[in-house]
Order: sequence, then C-alpha cells, then structure tokens
Amino acid sequence: MSIQPTQRRAGGGYLERPAPSGLADVIEIILDKGIVIDAYVRVSLVGIELLTIDARIVIASVDTYLRFAEATNRLDLLEQGGGKPLDEFIGNMQESGAGRKVKGAVSGAKKAITGGGSDDDEDDDDSSRRRPAKKSSSRRRSEA
Amino acid sequence: MEVEAGEELTTGWCVYGVVPAHTGRVPNDLTGIDDAPLDLVVHGDIAAVVGEMQLERPPGRRADLMAYSKVVDALADAGPVVPVRFGSVLPDADSIVEAVLAPDEPLFVDLLDQLVGRRQFIVRAAYHDEVALTEIVRSDPGVAALRAHTRDLPEDAAYADRVRLGELVARAMEAKVEVDAEILADAIVPFTAAHRVTLGSGADNLVTVAVLVDDDRREEFEEQLEGLAEAVHERIRLQLIGPSAPYDFVGEA
Repeated sequence: MSIQPTQRRAGGGYLERPAPSGLADVIEIILDKGIVIDAYVRVSLVGIELLTIDARIVIASVDTYLRFAEATNRLDLLEQGGGKPLDEFIGNMQESGAGRKVKGAVSGAKKAITGGGSDDDEDDDDSSRRRPAKKSSSRRRSEA
Repeated sequence: MEVEAGEELTTGWCVYGVVPAHTGRVPNDLTGIDDAPLDLVVHGDIAAVVGEMQLERPPGRRADLMAYSKVVDALADAGPVVPVRFGSVLPDADSIVEAVLAPDEPLFVDLLDQLVGRRQFIVRAAYHDEVALTEIVRSDPGVAALRAHTRDLPEDAAYADRVRLGELVARAMEAKVEVDAEILADAIVPFTAAHRVTLGSGADNLVTVAVLVDDDRREEFEEQLEGLAEAVHERIRLQLIGPSAPYDFVGEA
C-alpha cells in the first residue's frame, strides 16, 4: 500500500480526501521535491514542467488584470450568498487554537524542520530548474 | 557543465531515498523504474534505496514518475525516509556512497530522526466559484463603481478602466488570500509537527499547507480538519491528501 484510497469519514463529510492517483496530483506532490543530490544524470519529465508553470498565475500583468476584470463583470451578484468573514466561521469552532489569531503563522511556515528557507525562496531557486522544459528531455549533466 | 554519458555506461542507479540502515530491508515485492528490483547501498547508519535503470531510452515517462512515487511512499509506509529528488541517477554504488551518503551522513541521520513516527499530509484550500470575487465587489466601493461603469460597455471601450478594475481586484484578492490563509493555517498548525504554507492566487487555489503530523496526533488532526472544513464550507472547500512521504520537509543537501 502506498497512498491510501479515498476515504470519507462518516461524520461531517465536508473534508474531501481524494486519492492522488492521477498524474497531475502526483506531479504536484513530488515534482521538484525531495533532497537534491549531486547526481551524474538527472532524469527530467518530458514537457511536464510546463504544466506546473502554467498553474501559477502571474498576478501582476495586464493580461491577468483584464481576466480579473472580465470575471468581475461576469458576476451575477444576486445569485451569490453573503460573504461572512472567515474568522466568524472559525469562531464557531470550539477547538482550542482554532479561532485564535496567532501572529506570524504564515511567516512561521518558513521554518520547515530543516530550518530551510521560505517557500518563496525555494520558488525563486526552482525557476531556473523549471524553465528549460525542452532542454530537459534528454539532458545529461553533472550538477557540479 | 555538460557531461556526455560514455557509450560504456548504459545503465545507472536511480536513488529513491535514504533510510536508516538498521531497518535494513526493502519490501520484497517492491520494484522501481523499469520494474527493476530494489537494493540498498549501506554506509554507516544510513542506506540509499536504489534500483538499476536504463539510460539509453527516452527519460521521464509517466510510468517512471508513478514508479518513483510508489517506491518512496512504500518506504514511508514502512518507516522514516528522506526522499531523493525524482530522477537522480548515479553510475555505481561507490559513487552513491562518495557523493551522497558519506558527505551528508550527519544531515541524513538528523533528518531521519526527526521523521520517525511522522507522516506528511497536504491540505489544499480553494474558494468556491466566485465567492472571493463577490466578496471583493461587495466590500470595495471602488471596485463596485468601476464594475458598474465598465460591465455594460463593449470590450474595446474603457480599456484603462478595465485594467484598473482588474488591478484593484487582483490586489484585493491577494490581500484576501493572505488573511484567509493565515486563519486556516492557524487552525491547522497547532496539530502538526512542522508545516509549509504556499499561498495561491485566489482564483483557483487559496492556499496549500504541507504538514508533518505525529502518528499519535493523526486522529486529532483529521478531526480538526473535518471541523474546519465544515466551519468554512460555505466559502471554501478543503482537501486533505495523504499520508505521503515527507517530500516537503527534507530541504536540500
């Protein structure tokens, strides 16, 4: 057994537990993850890096702005429910720690157990590796 | 530096992960890329899980990725493992010891210690369709005014206004994602041993939180997520993926 199959718990049922069986899920979970070693040959996935780049919307571009504008103008507000702030929902939870505002939780995320850099840093580092999707098809190189 | 593989080298050793040497066994029925049997390269207290791999063929097929994933997750099911990035191939056992195990043995030992009795999960949150946009239009008079001004005009009219509208919405979305992601992370993090937060764009992903959960807190963690999913379900859908190998918590050598 590896990753466990879909299991919806009896209670609640609002939490989705998909089994990551598809290629896209597996890519998201493992691509560019894991410790990097000084490999003699590094096998890259053909064409797949592009998918992960496309999934990242570049917020600050005119194209993106126009897409946001179009989506905003398409909205039919009458059909939408009210938007209560998220912390009001969470405030209803009785769990300890749940509704509590802990300062810096997001920045605290930078501290993986290795004490490694933040996700942002990693993304920056990764960009150079993700970009050459075409080159990677039969690339053989030592990462000296 | 580009290195051409010499003709004499047609196979290499794919390294899947590093495990404690004392666990000493790879599951018998487990095979790797190319259906190759798996082997251990031991050095002191640690061992690399490896499998032979043909080099003279198109690399990086879907099957290779799935095979890698299957091996690393099976190792994680059996005990602590430090996943090695997909597709790392070395020429022989000696080079695995010299280039991988020996130089970073203390790091591997330390990482493996920290991974004992813990599994990784990924929590993914996304707004339901149009929820975030609707909230932004409702709460931001500037956005609402620009929307009212531009929405019934033809595509090519009021270009600057539409760009301005989109920019305001994009900024508001970014701020909203930051606030909501922090609230969600705050609800999750107390139940985890480690976490990494990756903010989404808001459009189809709010936030992804990779977490490392102690086995003896797993039930508590899952119950918390059930409660959280129910509490936020009108605006946000939550997915819990895993357990999987600790891909997000091994840093870089």
